[in-house]
Amino acid sequence: MNPPDLLARCASYLPQLLDGAITTLWLSAIAVACGFFAGIFIYMMSASESRTLSTAARVYVSVFRGTPVLAQLLVFYYVPSGLGWAIPGVVAAAIGLSMNTAAYQSQILGTGFTAIPRGQIEAAQTFNLTRRQTLWHVEIPQVVALTLPALVSEMIDIVKASAVVSVIAVTDLMRVGQQLSSFSYRPLEVYTLAACFYLVITSMLSLAGRGIERRMARRA
Amino acid sequence: MNSFLALIPRFADAIVVTLEVSVLAAVVGASGGFMLNALRLTFPKWLSAPYRVYVWLVRGTPYLSQLVIVYFGLPVIGITMTAVQATIVSLAIYSAAYFAEIFRAGWASIPRGHMEAARAFGISRWSVFRSIELPQAVAFAVPLLANQTILVIKESAVASIITVPELTMTASDIVSSTYTYIGPYAMLIICYWLLTQCVAVAFKWASAFIALSRKPS
Repeated sequence: MNPPDLLARCASYLPQLLDGAITTLWLSAIAVACGFFAGIFIYMMSASESRTLSTAARVYVSVFRGTPVLAQLLVFYYVPSGLGWAIPGVVAAAIGLSMNTAAYQSQILGTGFTAIPRGQIEAAQTFNLTRRQTLWHVEIPQVVALTLPALVSEMIDIVKASAVVSVIAVTDLMRVGQQLSSFSYRPLEVYTLAACFYLVITSMLSLAGRGIERRMARRA
Repeated sequence: MNSFLALIPRFADAIVVTLEVSVLAAVVGASGGFMLNALRLTFPKWLSAPYRVYVWLVRGTPYLSQLVIVYFGLPVIGITMTAVQATIVSLAIYSAAYFAEIFRAGWASIPRGHMEAARAFGISRWSVFRSIELPQAVAFAVPLLANQTILVIKESAVASIITVPELTMTASDIVSSTYTYIGPYAMLIICYWLLTQCVAVAFKWASAFIALSRKPS
Protein backbone atom coordinates (compact mmCIF):
# COMPACT_ATOMS: atom_id res chain seq x y z
CA MET A 1 0.00 0.00 0.00
CA ASN A 2 2.03 2.99 -1.17
CA PRO A 3 0.88 6.57 -0.63
CA PRO A 4 0.31 7.64 -4.29
CA ASP A 5 -2.08 4.68 -4.78
CA LEU A 6 -4.00 5.60 -1.67
CA LEU A 7 -4.31 9.21 -2.80
CA ALA A 8 -5.46 8.17 -6.26
CA ARG A 9 -8.08 5.86 -4.80
CA CYS A 10 -9.33 8.50 -2.38
CA ALA A 11 -9.62 10.96 -5.27
CA SER A 12 -11.70 8.39 -7.14
CA TYR A 13 -14.14 8.16 -4.22
CA LEU A 14 -14.62 11.92 -4.04
CA PRO A 15 -17.32 12.52 -6.70
CA GLN A 16 -19.69 9.94 -5.22
CA LEU A 17 -19.06 11.06 -1.65
CA LEU A 18 -19.73 14.63 -2.76
CA ASP A 19 -23.10 13.53 -4.17
CA GLY A 20 -23.87 11.87 -0.85
CA ALA A 21 -22.79 14.96 1.06
CA ILE A 22 -25.17 17.09 -1.00
CA THR A 23 -28.05 14.75 -0.12
CA THR A 24 -27.06 14.94 3.55
CA LEU A 25 -26.94 18.73 3.34
CA TRP A 26 -30.28 19.36 1.72
CA LEU A 27 -32.02 16.74 3.85
CA SER A 28 -30.64 18.40 6.99
CA ALA A 29 -31.57 21.85 5.67
CA ILE A 30 -35.17 20.78 5.02
CA ALA A 31 -35.38 19.16 8.46
CA VAL A 32 -33.98 22.21 10.27
CA ALA A 33 -36.26 24.63 8.37
CA CYS A 34 -39.46 22.56 8.82
CA GLY A 35 -38.44 21.80 12.39
CA PHE A 36 -38.11 25.51 13.09
CA PHE A 37 -41.71 26.31 12.16
CA ALA A 38 -43.03 23.15 13.77
CA GLY A 39 -40.94 24.00 16.84
CA ILE A 40 -42.58 27.43 17.13
CA PHE A 41 -45.96 25.76 16.81
CA ILE A 42 -45.15 23.21 19.52
CA TYR A 43 -43.86 25.93 21.81
CA MET A 44 -47.12 27.87 21.24
CA MET A 45 -49.06 24.75 22.16
CA SER A 46 -47.05 24.18 25.32
CA ALA A 47 -47.48 27.82 26.37
CA SER A 48 -51.19 27.93 25.60
CA GLU A 49 -53.81 28.09 28.33
CA SER A 50 -55.53 24.95 27.12
CA ARG A 51 -54.57 21.98 29.28
CA THR A 52 -55.05 19.53 26.41
CA LEU A 53 -52.76 21.43 24.05
CA SER A 54 -49.99 21.92 26.57
CA THR A 55 -50.10 18.27 27.64
CA ALA A 56 -50.02 17.15 24.00
CA ALA A 57 -46.95 19.34 23.42
CA ARG A 58 -45.23 17.94 26.52
CA VAL A 59 -45.90 14.34 25.45
CA TYR A 60 -44.62 15.10 21.94
CA VAL A 61 -41.36 16.60 23.21
CA SER A 62 -40.85 13.84 25.76
CA VAL A 63 -41.36 11.03 23.23
CA PHE A 64 -39.14 12.56 20.55
CA ARG A 65 -36.38 13.43 23.00
CA GLY A 66 -36.65 10.17 24.90
CA THR A 67 -36.25 7.78 21.95
CA PRO A 68 -33.50 7.28 19.34
CA VAL A 69 -33.75 8.99 15.94
CA LEU A 70 -33.19 5.61 14.33
CA ALA A 71 -36.28 4.13 16.01
CA GLN A 72 -38.30 7.17 14.94
CA LEU A 73 -37.16 6.84 11.33
CA LEU A 74 -38.03 3.14 11.26
CA VAL A 75 -41.53 4.00 12.47
CA PHE A 76 -41.98 6.71 9.82
CA TYR A 77 -40.69 4.45 7.06
CA TYR A 78 -42.15 1.03 7.85
CA VAL A 79 -45.43 1.76 9.62
CA PRO A 80 -47.03 3.58 6.63
CA SER A 81 -45.85 0.84 4.27
CA GLY A 82 -47.26 -1.75 6.67
CA LEU A 83 -50.60 0.03 6.42
CA GLY A 84 -50.40 -0.24 2.63
CA TRP A 85 -49.34 3.35 2.09
CA ALA A 86 -45.67 3.06 1.19
CA ILE A 87 -43.67 6.30 1.13
CA PRO A 88 -40.17 6.76 -0.31
CA GLY A 89 -37.26 6.66 2.13
CA VAL A 90 -36.35 10.29 1.48
CA VAL A 91 -39.83 11.47 2.43
CA ALA A 92 -39.85 9.37 5.59
CA ALA A 93 -36.38 10.70 6.42
CA ALA A 94 -37.42 14.32 5.90
CA ILE A 95 -40.55 13.89 8.02
CA GLY A 96 -38.76 11.96 10.76
CA LEU A 97 -35.81 14.33 11.06
CA SER A 98 -38.10 17.39 10.95
CA MET A 99 -40.34 16.07 13.69
CA ASN A 100 -37.32 15.11 15.77
CA THR A 101 -35.61 18.48 15.53
CA ALA A 102 -38.98 20.22 16.08
CA ALA A 103 -39.04 18.76 19.60
CA TYR A 104 -35.53 20.06 20.35
CA GLN A 105 -36.07 23.41 18.63
CA SER A 106 -39.31 24.01 20.54
CA GLN A 107 -37.28 23.78 23.74
CA ILE A 108 -34.51 26.04 22.42
CA LEU A 109 -36.95 28.63 21.08
CA GLY A 110 -38.93 28.43 24.33
CA THR A 111 -35.96 29.83 26.27
CA GLY A 112 -35.89 32.72 23.76
CA PHE A 113 -39.61 33.43 24.03
CA THR A 114 -39.53 33.56 27.82
CA ALA A 115 -36.57 35.98 27.70
CA ILE A 116 -38.56 38.67 25.87
CA PRO A 117 -39.83 41.32 28.27
CA ARG A 118 -43.63 41.24 28.65
CA GLY A 119 -43.75 45.01 28.10
CA GLN A 120 -42.84 44.62 24.44
CA ILE A 121 -45.86 42.43 23.77
CA GLU A 122 -48.10 44.84 25.68
CA ALA A 123 -46.63 47.73 23.68
CA ALA A 124 -47.34 45.85 20.44
CA GLN A 125 -50.94 45.35 21.55
CA THR A 126 -51.24 49.03 22.34
CA PHE A 127 -50.13 49.80 18.80
CA ASN A 128 -52.92 47.53 17.56
CA LEU A 129 -50.64 44.84 16.17
CA THR A 130 -52.49 41.56 15.79
CA ARG A 131 -51.29 38.51 17.70
CA ARG A 132 -49.75 37.17 14.49
CA GLN A 133 -47.97 40.43 13.66
CA THR A 134 -46.59 40.57 17.18
CA LEU A 135 -45.31 37.04 16.81
CA TRP A 136 -43.59 37.51 13.44
CA HIS A 137 -42.38 41.08 13.72
CA VAL A 138 -41.66 41.51 17.42
CA GLU A 139 -41.04 38.15 19.04
CA ILE A 140 -39.50 35.81 16.46
CA PRO A 141 -36.68 38.11 15.24
CA GLN A 142 -35.52 38.50 18.84
CA VAL A 143 -36.01 34.83 19.69
CA VAL A 144 -33.83 33.84 16.73
CA ALA A 145 -31.15 36.35 17.66
CA LEU A 146 -31.14 35.18 21.28
CA THR A 147 -31.05 31.46 20.54
CA LEU A 148 -28.88 31.44 17.42
CA PRO A 149 -25.89 29.71 19.05
CA ALA A 150 -28.13 26.90 20.33
CA LEU A 151 -29.88 26.67 16.95
CA VAL A 152 -26.53 26.29 15.17
CA SER A 153 -25.53 23.48 17.50
CA GLU A 154 -28.91 21.84 16.81
CA MET A 155 -28.13 22.09 13.07
CA ILE A 156 -24.85 20.28 13.69
CA ASP A 157 -26.71 17.61 15.67
CA ILE A 158 -29.15 17.11 12.80
CA VAL A 159 -26.36 16.74 10.22
CA LYS A 160 -24.87 14.03 12.45
CA ALA A 161 -28.23 12.41 13.24
CA SER A 162 -29.02 12.29 9.50
CA ALA A 163 -26.33 9.61 9.07
CA VAL A 164 -28.85 6.96 10.18
CA VAL A 165 -31.17 7.68 7.22
CA SER A 166 -28.81 5.37 5.33
CA VAL A 167 -30.81 2.56 6.96
CA ILE A 168 -34.05 3.51 5.21
CA ALA A 169 -32.54 3.49 1.72
CA VAL A 170 -31.59 7.16 1.38
CA THR A 171 -28.28 7.57 -0.48
CA ASP A 172 -26.79 10.10 1.88
CA LEU A 173 -23.10 10.47 2.70
CA MET A 174 -23.08 7.43 5.00
CA ARG A 175 -24.92 5.25 2.48
CA VAL A 176 -22.48 6.20 -0.28
CA GLY A 177 -19.68 5.23 2.10
CA GLN A 178 -21.28 1.82 2.63
CA GLN A 179 -21.71 1.31 -1.13
CA LEU A 180 -18.12 2.33 -1.90
CA SER A 181 -16.83 0.12 0.87
CA SER A 182 -18.68 -2.93 -0.45
CA PHE A 183 -17.33 -2.28 -3.99
CA SER A 184 -13.76 -1.52 -3.05
CA TYR A 185 -13.32 -3.83 -0.03
CA ARG A 186 -11.41 -0.99 1.60
CA PRO A 187 -13.69 0.01 4.49
CA LEU A 188 -11.05 1.81 6.55
CA GLU A 189 -10.16 4.46 3.97
CA VAL A 190 -13.69 4.88 2.63
CA TYR A 191 -15.32 5.31 6.03
CA THR A 192 -12.53 7.59 7.22
CA LEU A 193 -12.99 9.76 4.16
CA ALA A 194 -16.76 9.86 4.72
CA ALA A 195 -16.12 10.90 8.34
CA CYS A 196 -13.86 13.70 7.02
CA PHE A 197 -16.76 15.00 4.93
CA TYR A 198 -18.95 15.13 8.03
CA LEU A 199 -16.14 16.83 9.90
CA VAL A 200 -15.86 19.52 7.22
CA ILE A 201 -19.63 20.16 7.27
CA THR A 202 -19.93 20.35 11.05
CA SER A 203 -16.76 22.45 11.41
CA MET A 204 -17.99 24.96 8.86
CA LEU A 205 -21.33 25.20 10.65
CA SER A 206 -19.66 25.74 14.00
CA LEU A 207 -17.28 28.36 12.54
CA ALA A 208 -20.25 30.17 10.99
CA GLY A 209 -22.05 29.98 14.34
CA ARG A 210 -19.08 31.46 16.15
CA GLY A 211 -18.77 34.21 13.53
CA ILE A 212 -22.41 35.17 13.93
CA GLU A 213 -22.06 35.15 17.71
CA ARG A 214 -19.07 37.48 17.53
CA ARG A 215 -20.90 39.86 15.21
CA MET A 216 -23.88 39.91 17.53
CA ALA A 217 -21.69 40.55 20.54
CA ARG A 218 -20.16 43.54 18.76
CA ARG A 219 -23.54 44.96 17.84
CA ALA A 220 -24.87 44.58 21.38
CA MET B 1 -53.69 -6.91 22.30
CA ASN B 2 -52.58 -10.42 23.19
CA SER B 3 -50.12 -10.50 20.33
CA PHE B 4 -48.79 -7.17 21.60
CA LEU B 5 -48.27 -8.54 25.10
CA ALA B 6 -46.66 -11.65 23.63
CA LEU B 7 -43.83 -9.38 22.44
CA ILE B 8 -42.81 -8.55 26.00
CA PRO B 9 -40.43 -11.48 26.68
CA ARG B 10 -38.29 -10.83 23.59
CA PHE B 11 -38.21 -7.11 24.27
CA ALA B 12 -37.28 -7.78 27.89
CA ASP B 13 -34.24 -9.73 26.67
CA ALA B 14 -33.39 -6.95 24.23
CA ILE B 15 -33.69 -4.24 26.87
CA VAL B 16 -31.08 -6.09 28.90
CA VAL B 17 -28.68 -6.06 25.92
CA THR B 18 -29.30 -2.33 25.31
CA LEU B 19 -28.71 -1.64 29.00
CA GLU B 20 -25.57 -3.76 29.19
CA VAL B 21 -24.01 -2.16 26.15
CA SER B 22 -24.91 1.41 26.99
CA VAL B 23 -24.28 1.29 30.74
CA LEU B 24 -20.89 -0.33 30.21
CA ALA B 25 -20.01 2.22 27.53
CA ALA B 26 -21.27 5.11 29.67
CA VAL B 27 -19.29 3.95 32.72
CA VAL B 28 -16.09 3.50 30.70
CA GLY B 29 -16.75 6.74 28.82
CA ALA B 30 -17.43 8.71 32.01
CA SER B 31 -14.31 7.33 33.73
CA GLY B 32 -12.29 7.99 30.58
CA GLY B 33 -13.67 11.49 30.30
CA PHE B 34 -12.92 12.13 33.97
CA MET B 35 -9.33 10.92 33.58
CA LEU B 36 -8.91 12.93 30.40
CA ASN B 37 -10.05 16.07 32.18
CA ALA B 38 -7.80 15.33 35.17
CA LEU B 39 -4.82 14.84 32.82
CA ARG B 40 -5.67 18.02 30.96
CA LEU B 41 -5.73 19.91 34.27
CA THR B 42 -2.42 18.39 35.36
CA PHE B 43 -0.52 18.88 32.10
CA PRO B 44 -2.24 21.87 30.48
CA LYS B 45 0.77 22.64 28.30
CA TRP B 46 1.20 19.21 26.73
CA LEU B 47 -2.32 17.94 26.53
CA SER B 48 -4.55 20.84 25.63
CA ALA B 49 -3.88 20.56 21.87
CA PRO B 50 -4.32 16.74 21.54
CA TYR B 51 -7.38 16.98 23.81
CA ARG B 52 -8.97 19.62 21.60
CA VAL B 53 -8.28 17.59 18.46
CA TYR B 54 -9.83 14.47 20.01
CA VAL B 55 -12.96 16.34 21.10
CA TRP B 56 -13.20 18.00 17.68
CA LEU B 57 -12.93 14.68 15.82
CA VAL B 58 -15.44 12.83 18.00
CA ARG B 59 -18.01 15.61 18.23
CA GLY B 60 -17.70 16.59 14.58
CA THR B 61 -18.64 13.20 13.15
CA PRO B 62 -21.76 11.02 13.53
CA TYR B 63 -21.53 8.12 15.97
CA LEU B 64 -22.50 5.76 13.15
CA SER B 65 -19.39 6.68 11.18
CA GLN B 66 -17.22 6.06 14.23
CA LEU B 67 -18.89 2.69 14.75
CA VAL B 68 -18.32 1.53 11.17
CA ILE B 69 -14.69 2.67 11.27
CA VAL B 70 -14.14 0.60 14.42
CA TYR B 71 -16.15 -2.44 13.29
CA PHE B 72 -15.44 -2.59 9.54
CA GLY B 73 -12.32 -0.43 9.25
CA LEU B 74 -10.02 -1.54 12.05
CA PRO B 75 -9.88 -5.21 10.93
CA VAL B 76 -7.93 -3.88 7.92
CA ILE B 77 -5.05 -3.07 10.28
CA GLY B 78 -5.51 -6.27 12.26
CA ILE B 79 -7.82 -5.17 15.08
CA THR B 80 -10.87 -7.43 14.97
CA MET B 81 -13.77 -7.21 17.40
CA THR B 82 -17.20 -8.78 17.76
CA ALA B 83 -20.17 -6.53 17.09
CA VAL B 84 -20.85 -6.10 20.82
CA GLN B 85 -17.21 -5.33 21.59
CA ALA B 86 -16.98 -2.84 18.73
CA THR B 87 -20.14 -1.12 19.97
CA ILE B 88 -18.93 -0.81 23.54
CA VAL B 89 -15.45 0.37 22.50
CA SER B 90 -16.70 2.94 19.97
CA LEU B 91 -19.50 4.14 22.23
CA ALA B 92 -17.01 4.58 25.08
CA ILE B 93 -14.56 6.53 22.88
CA TYR B 94 -17.44 8.62 21.58
CA SER B 95 -18.98 9.40 24.96
CA ALA B 96 -15.62 10.02 26.69
CA ALA B 97 -15.22 13.20 24.62
CA TYR B 98 -18.62 14.49 25.75
CA PHE B 99 -18.06 13.40 29.35
CA ALA B 100 -14.64 15.10 29.39
CA GLU B 101 -16.26 18.33 28.24
CA ILE B 102 -18.89 17.99 30.98
CA PHE B 103 -16.21 17.60 33.64
CA ARG B 104 -14.33 20.52 32.11
CA ALA B 105 -17.46 22.64 32.54
CA GLY B 106 -17.78 21.32 36.11
CA TRP B 107 -14.26 22.44 36.95
CA ALA B 108 -14.74 25.76 35.18
CA SER B 109 -17.76 26.40 37.43
CA ILE B 110 -15.60 26.48 40.59
CA PRO B 111 -14.68 30.02 41.65
CA ARG B 112 -10.91 30.68 41.42
CA GLY B 113 -10.91 31.98 44.98
CA HIS B 114 -11.45 28.47 46.41
CA MET B 115 -8.16 27.29 44.95
CA GLU B 116 -6.32 30.39 46.14
CA ALA B 117 -7.79 30.17 49.65
CA ALA B 118 -6.86 26.48 49.88
CA ARG B 119 -3.32 27.26 48.80
CA ALA B 120 -3.10 30.05 51.39
CA PHE B 121 -4.06 27.51 54.06
CA GLY B 122 -1.32 25.18 52.81
CA ILE B 123 -3.70 22.39 51.78
CA SER B 124 -2.05 19.89 49.45
CA ARG B 125 -2.98 19.76 45.76
CA TRP B 126 -4.49 16.27 46.16
CA SER B 127 -6.67 17.33 49.10
CA VAL B 128 -7.86 20.35 47.18
CA PHE B 129 -8.79 18.10 44.28
CA ARG B 130 -10.57 15.52 46.43
CA SER B 131 -12.30 17.63 49.05
CA ILE B 132 -12.85 21.00 47.43
CA GLU B 133 -12.98 20.67 43.65
CA LEU B 134 -14.44 17.19 43.16
CA PRO B 135 -17.65 17.59 45.22
CA GLN B 136 -18.47 20.93 43.61
CA ALA B 137 -17.66 19.83 40.07
CA VAL B 138 -19.67 16.61 40.38
CA ALA B 139 -22.68 18.37 41.92
CA PHE B 140 -22.58 20.81 39.01
CA ALA B 141 -22.21 18.03 36.46
CA VAL B 142 -24.97 15.61 37.57
CA PRO B 143 -27.76 16.95 35.30
CA LEU B 144 -25.35 17.02 32.36
CA LEU B 145 -24.18 13.49 33.14
CA ALA B 146 -27.82 12.36 33.13
CA ASN B 147 -28.32 13.96 29.75
CA GLN B 148 -25.21 12.33 28.33
CA THR B 149 -26.12 8.87 29.68
CA ILE B 150 -29.50 9.17 27.95
CA LEU B 151 -27.69 10.16 24.75
CA VAL B 152 -25.53 7.04 25.01
CA ILE B 153 -28.62 4.84 25.40
CA LYS B 154 -30.17 6.48 22.36
CA GLU B 155 -27.00 6.19 20.26
CA SER B 156 -26.77 2.49 21.12
CA ALA B 157 -29.73 1.95 18.77
CA VAL B 158 -27.27 2.45 15.92
CA ALA B 159 -25.58 -0.82 16.94
CA SER B 160 -28.56 -2.63 15.38
CA ILE B 161 -26.94 -1.79 12.02
CA ILE B 162 -24.03 -4.09 12.85
CA THR B 163 -26.49 -6.74 14.19
CA VAL B 164 -26.10 -6.33 17.95
CA PRO B 165 -29.30 -7.98 19.29
CA GLU B 166 -30.47 -4.91 21.21
CA LEU B 167 -33.91 -3.26 21.17
CA THR B 168 -33.93 -1.83 17.64
CA MET B 169 -32.49 -4.98 16.09
CA THR B 170 -35.08 -7.11 17.92
CA ALA B 171 -37.95 -4.93 16.71
CA SER B 172 -36.71 -5.11 13.12
CA ASP B 173 -36.30 -8.90 13.43
CA ILE B 174 -39.87 -9.35 14.65
CA VAL B 175 -41.15 -7.05 11.90
CA SER B 176 -39.40 -8.96 9.15
CA SER B 177 -40.45 -12.40 10.44
CA THR B 178 -44.10 -11.62 11.25
CA TYR B 179 -44.91 -8.79 8.82
CA THR B 180 -46.63 -6.91 11.62
CA TYR B 181 -45.38 -3.37 11.89
CA ILE B 182 -47.32 -1.38 14.42
CA GLY B 183 -46.98 -3.70 17.42
CA PRO B 184 -43.20 -4.18 17.43
CA TYR B 185 -42.42 -0.56 16.60
CA ALA B 186 -44.87 0.76 19.20
CA MET B 187 -43.20 -1.55 21.72
CA LEU B 188 -39.79 -0.28 20.62
CA ILE B 189 -40.73 3.35 21.22
CA ILE B 190 -42.31 2.50 24.59
CA CYS B 191 -39.22 0.56 25.72
CA TYR B 192 -36.78 3.37 24.85
CA TRP B 193 -39.03 6.00 26.35
CA LEU B 194 -39.38 4.07 29.64
CA LEU B 195 -35.65 3.42 29.73
CA THR B 196 -34.68 7.07 29.26
CA GLN B 197 -37.34 8.25 31.74
CA CYS B 198 -36.02 5.81 34.36
CA VAL B 199 -32.48 7.08 33.86
CA ALA B 200 -33.68 10.68 34.14
CA VAL B 201 -35.51 9.90 37.41
CA ALA B 202 -32.53 7.97 38.82
CA PHE B 203 -30.22 10.91 38.18
CA LYS B 204 -32.75 13.30 39.72
CA TRP B 205 -32.67 11.21 42.90
CA ALA B 206 -28.87 11.17 42.81
CA SER B 207 -28.84 14.92 42.41
CA ALA B 208 -31.23 15.39 45.36
CA PHE B 209 -29.13 13.02 47.45
CA ILE B 210 -25.94 14.93 46.66
CA ALA B 211 -27.60 18.26 47.43
CA LEU B 212 -28.81 16.87 50.76
CA SER B 213 -25.45 15.46 51.78
CA ARG B 214 -23.67 18.70 50.88
CA LYS B 215 -25.91 20.88 53.04
CA PRO B 216 -23.79 22.39 55.82
CA SER B 217 -25.04 20.98 59.13
